[in-house]
Amino acid sequence: MTLFQDTAGDPRAARASLADVLAWYGAVGDAAAGNPPGFALRKASVAVSLAQIANADDAERHALFFAGLLHAIGAIGNAACRKGEDISPRAARSERWDIPAQGSRVCAQIAALPAACADLVRWQAERWDGTGFPDQLRWHGIPPLAQYLALADAYVRASDPDEALGEMSLQSGRGFGPTHARTFTMWFHSTGGEFELHEVPLDALDAAPEAAAWLLDRAADAIDAHNGVSGRWRRIDALAQTTARALGLDAAATRALALATRIFGAGELHAAHAEGEEFDPLARLGIDERARNATAAADLARPHAALRDAAEIVAARAEWFDGTGKPRGIGHADLATASGVLAAAIAHASLDRAERLETAIGTQFDPRVVPALLEAAKARA
Amino acid sequence: MIELPERTRRISPSRLHEILLAHDAKSVVDPFMGLPTHLNYLKRHNIAVHGGDLLEWFVRVGEGIVVNDLTILRDSEVAEIVEMLPGRIYSLDLFKAWEGVFFTEEQCVYLGVWHDNVRNLRSDGQTGLAILGLWRAFCYWLQKAQSPDDMQDIPPSELAWSYIRETEQWVVANIRRNTVRQGDVLATIGAQQADALFFAPPARNSFRSADARIWMWEAWWQGNPYFTIEHAYRDSLLGARAADPPAYARALASVLSHAESYPLVIAQTTEARLPEIEGIVRNARAHVEIIAPHPFEVYVVATK
Repeated sequence: MTLFQDTAGDPRAARASLADVLAWYGAVGDAAAGNPPGFALRKASVAVSLAQIANADDAERHALFFAGLLHAIGAIGNAACRKGEDISPRAARSERWDIPAQGSRVCAQIAALPAACADLVRWQAERWDGTGFPDQLRWHGIPPLAQYLALADAYVRASDPDEALGEMSLQSGRGFGPTHARTFTMWFHSTGGEFELHEVPLDALDAAPEAAAWLLDRAADAIDAHNGVSGRWRRIDALAQTTARALGLDAAATRALALATRIFGAGELHAAHAEGEEFDPLARLGIDERARNATAAADLARPHAALRDAAEIVAARAEWFDGTGKPRGIGHADLATASGVLAAAIAHASLDRAERLETAIGTQFDPRVVPALLEAAKARA
Repeated sequence: MIELPERTRRISPSRLHEILLAHDAKSVVDPFMGLPTHLNYLKRHNIAVHGGDLLEWFVRVGEGIVVNDLTILRDSEVAEIVEMLPGRIYSLDLFKAWEGVFFTEEQCVYLGVWHDNVRNLRSDGQTGLAILGLWRAFCYWLQKAQSPDDMQDIPPSELAWSYIRETEQWVVANIRRNTVRQGDVLATIGAQQADALFFAPPARNSFRSADARIWMWEAWWQGNPYFTIEHAYRDSLLGARAADPPAYARALASVLSHAESYPLVIAQTTEARLPEIEGIVRNARAHVEIIAPHPFEVYVVATK
């Protein structure tokens, strides 16, 4: 089974899937870093607008866009952000300095991205006066495009555009080169600080047919490692796929389920601990946490066409078969079987005795799903 | 108007760290370290680092951010560096020679005050941190002389205070012995043994066109506004051979022959100088790999 709809060799469709996964990955990076939703896309768009004012060519602007989009992916797995790390605030600050370099290493592995993207991610937090991180580059050692990324970051973070203008002016010669700060001022005065969100430049991606699937697997691995549950999605996916086959789910539902097993963990990034650590997966007590995680993961995926069906499966994975689940309280026929499979597979992964799932048949779980899943688990064992 | 040249070489410590990790190197010697922020990065990532340079202020900064594991400058201590202290006699005219040419009268007075205050600090670590912070204030002034309308007027003491206070974030321990020394290349290589030698060989005669932000700060530290960097390089391995290209190339080769026992050698250079440097490295080592992410950032990585 291919993870994304068969594109029949259409490179544009392969690029579109990859672009969706990249945009989702960027949003996941923001979630791990504690940035608000949509931050990466806004940052990328402002940076590209600044580069336009500075007459950057198309190739440079495309690299800059992807660097902005993926600016925070280094936070996934960073010691200052990941679960279970007990480090001092000082050590955490030092660890956070490595986020750009860690993100850069990931970008360098994504062959489809423009080559310049990785180093823009690496140097996005460098400061003109040499006090930035990770490399403490200074002056003209920092590529101008990386400075635009830094300016865009500061602008998007600012609570008020006029305040941002004042701050950029204060930072001229310190955080930003005087020329770059001047470019920002020109941009601000010519646009009033307004900007449009840019579309992903699909033509700039050099996507192999399996690139999107490869990236999604890689991202899911990183998310699990971040959440302190390495390899979890792979176990859940194997079980869910076998169960889906036994239940006779159609190809579209099976594909969406496979995507869902890879993206549901992103919803736990904001939580202080991994799901199932505090509450038994079969207890009603943990239902709010599960629903919160499900909603967060679905919100991250829903804006991206290639992941939309999977998002709906994830969104409903804390619903109960009897209609008493959360967040919407849907059940029985209204609850997609794929959501039931995902929910049971996730619960199974954190149970010490698999047969305990049977106690929740008809209440939490679909009566058709649990026997099929236990059978699949037995066969795999 | 003073010229601030665009740098033509870039060292990315995070990339250098990746190269060291790929070769399992846990210690490194850099005999041309310059401002040792890259050694500070490597130290933070648990690499034992040893640096050397001919300019004393680089070495002093190294004592602050490379050797020093825990001493920082607290607010009250920073305040005693950036302002004139009552009861202390200052040589306010020390940098008068720069007045009008590079700096205002007020800035020259502050340079004299800072020079005296830093010389009175008691610990090497604190001295290094103060030199680094003040250098950044000094660079701000030079930059502002170039772009007066684009940069804010910040009172000297406030500017210096913010930069010195910031230095505490670079103080970190890695439970390894890290050293810096003032000395020529071969002496530094001979004084240490490490898994890797990293060096960024200066171009021939490069010290004659050194960045004002570098040589002027050595002059400041020495308390001599007439100091030129040629003083420091005159009798050094490379400085003494700067007029003779073959001798200069032989001097660079001798660096490699002295580093024979180092399992890994990384020479950092630019695309323009790559043929010259690569040739020298290939003569000394059997296996050479070129990592060239940018024209201004090229690493010649050599193993035995």
